[in-house]
This record gives sequence, structure tokens and C-alpha cells, in this order.
Amino acid sequence: MRKGAILMSIPGLIFAAFLIYLLALNVYFSLLNWSLFNLRPTFAGLSTYQTLFSEYFFNLAVTHTIVYTIAAVAIGNILGILGAGILYFIKSNTRRAIYLSVFLYPLAVPSSTYAIAWQWLFNPQTGINLILKVFHFPNIIWLTTQPTIYAGMIIIETWAYTGLAVLFFLASFMSVDKSIIEAAKIDGANNLYLLFRIILPNSMNGFIVSTALLFLFSFRIFTVPFTIGGPTNPNMMSLVEYIYILFSTEYFSLSSALSSLVALIAAIVIIPYAILGLKKWVFRR
Amino acid sequence: MERSVSRGNYIINSIKYALLEIVAGILVIMWLVPLYAMILGGLKSNLEAASTPILLPPSKPSLDAYAFAWFGYATIPGLEPTMLRYLLVAIPSVLLSVIIGTMTAYFFFILSEKHEILSNSLFSIIALATFLPIETVTFPLIELETSLNVYNTYIGLIFAMLIFYVPTSALLMSIFIPVVPKYLIESARMDGAGDWTILWRVVFPLIFPGFLSTLIFVFLQIWNEFFIPLILTNTPNMLMLPVAARFYTAAYALIYNRSFAAGVISSLIPLIIFIFLGRYFIRGLAALGGGAKGV
Repeated sequence: MRKGAILMSIPGLIFAAFLIYLLALNVYFSLLNWSLFNLRPTFAGLSTYQTLFSEYFFNLAVTHTIVYTIAAVAIGNILGILGAGILYFIKSNTRRAIYLSVFLYPLAVPSSTYAIAWQWLFNPQTGINLILKVFHFPNIIWLTTQPTIYAGMIIIETWAYTGLAVLFFLASFMSVDKSIIEAAKIDGANNLYLLFRIILPNSMNGFIVSTALLFLFSFRIFTVPFTIGGPTNPNMMSLVEYIYILFSTEYFSLSSALSSLVALIAAIVIIPYAILGLKKWVFRR
Repeated sequence: MERSVSRGNYIINSIKYALLEIVAGILVIMWLVPLYAMILGGLKSNLEAASTPILLPPSKPSLDAYAFAWFGYATIPGLEPTMLRYLLVAIPSVLLSVIIGTMTAYFFFILSEKHEILSNSLFSIIALATFLPIETVTFPLIELETSLNVYNTYIGLIFAMLIFYVPTSALLMSIFIPVVPKYLIESARMDGAGDWTILWRVVFPLIFPGFLSTLIFVFLQIWNEFFIPLILTNTPNMLMLPVAARFYTAAYALIYNRSFAAGVISSLIPLIIFIFLGRYFIRGLAALGGGAKGV
């Protein structure tokens, strides 16, 4: 190890240390009894976690987060495979690049901004319901009551993140060995057979990366439910939004306990993904 | 006989291909609907925006709503100062994150040669920092910034951005750096070059496309960052664009056309960057999905 490299790492490691410090502080706060009603914190052990699990809104937020996450991962992957499948067979490189950019552009729109646009698209009187009416759908009241609130949120998430799944699948489709595909074509395989029997089984990379990212993006969704529903719509609340609500209503310990739980879940997902997934491809020699 | 079979195949294949293009076209149009609705909504009058179908074009397009959202009106603040202010936070945050991230990534690269476990643990920390919901450290972050006396300041915002986006940059750059051939670094070392020289003179020019895509990615993320300015600022003269744009829907909910206009204005810079530099960004992300086979 050379001195120069160690010196270069120092600023980066300082910021990483700050982050670990913040996470540790969170765990410490979660073990106290600290809220607006109890401004002199005392040690409370794990009882805050117990309180948290018995909270009605906690259970609501957990349910929403689980539904959003499962839907985002499942739908994102399916649409990602189909989208990448379509783009893979498109003959013009320019058109493929343009289509891909269109699927990805939601990443360049701030989430508080697209939340506004979707809120209006879901307006029952003037929004996409008018198109649904042409096909004789009943008038759907989106984003206000269950279960259409799930459908609405999932549509927004699908719009926002499918592009990433498409990109990752397309990238791994493209890196499948061309000779296998040529061989199958000579044997008379059609495109669907090619896609599902040959290209997809050789594209585990895309599957792993897109699942991990879809999971994380929907797990930590905050801005969209916060912008559309705010604290006034408990039906829309996600776990991460609930952290903020607890914090801003000054239940400090509860907020910290929930934060620690969310960080723990994130760590359980991310660390194996980083070591087994990302690092293996990145540093493979 | 054979010729007619192949001709039939040709026709069937053409139809199949046309269907493929049609499906792709429909999906692409569907994906553009929210953007279309936003731009159009901002061109309508307030009454029209509230009462006419959202996808219908305005009867008398006007830029009034955009002007109001940009310059403000009476007691309602415009977005102009908040955007300039946010650029003052975003530009240094992005540049510092990516430069520090590149140096950290180079360190990981050197470290992974000999210290497997140490490099795995550090790599896990930066991955965790990249994907952790920022909301989970709301409370400690405010405590920390208050105790450092940087709460509600530009320095405080930049500092918080760096805590989260240095790891993001380090993670992305660690994907690009290993693409550089080992022997180049070895031979530079043989010639007596130090790590600083090797990184900026040998490695950096080769991974420049990766650097650019990391820069774009981090810029988009920081421009999209809503939570950090929300919790770390609390006075009107520190109001930042992402928070201000949202106030147009929440606080002035009756002015529909202006909330669309505010939305369009706040996404203008990232959209322009995406349109002009999107292919570098996509190439970088594709390297991640395909297993970093090239930058």
C-alpha cells in the first residue's frame, strides 16, 4: 500500500465515517425515551421498538411499503424484460437509442415535479379517466382511497423506474455471446424463442442489478407520496415518509427506532448485493 | 416452390417487425404523457387548466403562468432566486463529490490487490451509503449540523450532500476504474510515478467517459434531491428550488397552471443535460448492467 493512495482516500473515508456516526447516533436515540412529552431523555432500552410495532400507522406504512416494493420489483422486471426484448430486436441503432432515452427520461425529472403531473393525470374529472371512459371503464377515484391508491402509486413508480430495468436488461442482452444467438438462428429459432430460451437465461446480471435497484428505489420512496398525499393522506404513507412524520411530530425516539430498522433492512439487502453482485463483476480478474 | 416459401416468410417477418415497432412506438408515447401534460398545463389559463381535459391542448396558449412561476407575483416568491441559490449548492456538491469519489475509488482499486476483507467492508459501506434512504438519518443529521453551526447555511447543505454523494460517486467510479489495463499502471509505477500522477495523468484520461457519466448521474440525483433542502433549511432566503417548486402545489393549490409551470421550470436543467449528454449517462449505467465490460 502506498502513501499517496492512502492520502487520497482520506476525504472519502471522512464522509463515510460521518455516515456511520449518524447511523450509530440513530441507534442510540432509539434506545432513549425522548419525545415532545418527555424532553429530558432517559434510557428506555428496546421498549420504543415495542411501541413502534404496536402502532397502527406503523403497520399501515409497512403494508404499503411491502405492496409498493413487491409490485415495483415484479412489474419493473417484467416490463424491463419486455421493453429490452423489443429494443433488442429493433434494427435501427438511432431509434433504439431514442426509445431507450424516452424510457429513462423520468430519472431526469425531479420526483416532486412528476408527482405533480401524475396527481393531475389521476384527477377523476379531467385526467386519464377520460380515456378510460372511451373503453367503458367506470370512473376511478385514484389516489384517495384504497385499493386504487396502490394502483396509482404503482403506475407512477412503474413509469419512473422501468427505464432503469429496460437499460440493465438491454445491456446484459447485448453482452450475450453473439455466436450462441447466430447458432440458434441457423437452427430456425424465432425471436420469442431466442429471447426467452437463450438470451434471458444468459442475462442474470441484468436481473440481479435491476431487482436490487427496483427494490431500493421503491423501498425508499418518499417524495412522491409526500408531495401527493402529505401527512394528511395516511393511505399513501410509506415507511420512509412515516419516519419523517414521526420526526416532525416530535416523537424523536420512535422516529429513530424506525430509521434504525429501515437502515438495517437496507443493509441486509445491500451488503450481499455489493460483495456478491457488484464487486464480483467489477473486480473480476 | 422454395422461393414462394421464403417470400411468405419474408412477408410474415415484415409484419412481425412492424408490430414490434408499433408496440415500441405506443410505449414511447405513453412514457411521454406526463411531460406533455406538464408543459401543456403551464400554457393554459388557470380556469382552463382546472376544468378542461388535461391532455387537450390549450385554446389560447400563453406564457403567463411560466412568467409568474419564474418571477413570482405579489407575496408569492418566484422560482428565479431559488434556482440560482440551488445552483450554488448543486455545482460545488457535484464537483466535489465526483472528484473525492474518484480518489476514493482509486484507493479501493489499489486496496483490492492485497486486502480483500478490508476492501470488501469499505465497499459495503459506500454501497450502503449510496442506497440508504436519507430520511433514516434525519434527526442525527440535524443534530450534527446544529452542533457544527452549519444548519440553514450553504456550507451545511453542501456538507450533507457530500456525505451521501461522495459514496455514490466512489461506487460508480469503482466500476469504471478496473477497466483500465493493469500493465499501464505497473509501467507508470516502474517509471517512478506517484499515485497522484498515476490517477490524474494515466487513469483519468482513460476513464473520462465513466467520469462524465458519474458526473451526470450525481448531478441528476442532487437536482432531484428534495429531502436534504427540506430538512436543513428553514428560512425564506434559504428556500431551495426543489422545495419551492413543491410549494406551488401544496401552498397555492388553486393555481393549477402555475404549479405545472413550476414543475417544468424545475426540471428544465436536468432535462437539457439529459437530452445533450444522455448517451454518456446511458453508456455508464449500461456498463453497470452488463458487468462493466468497457467504458
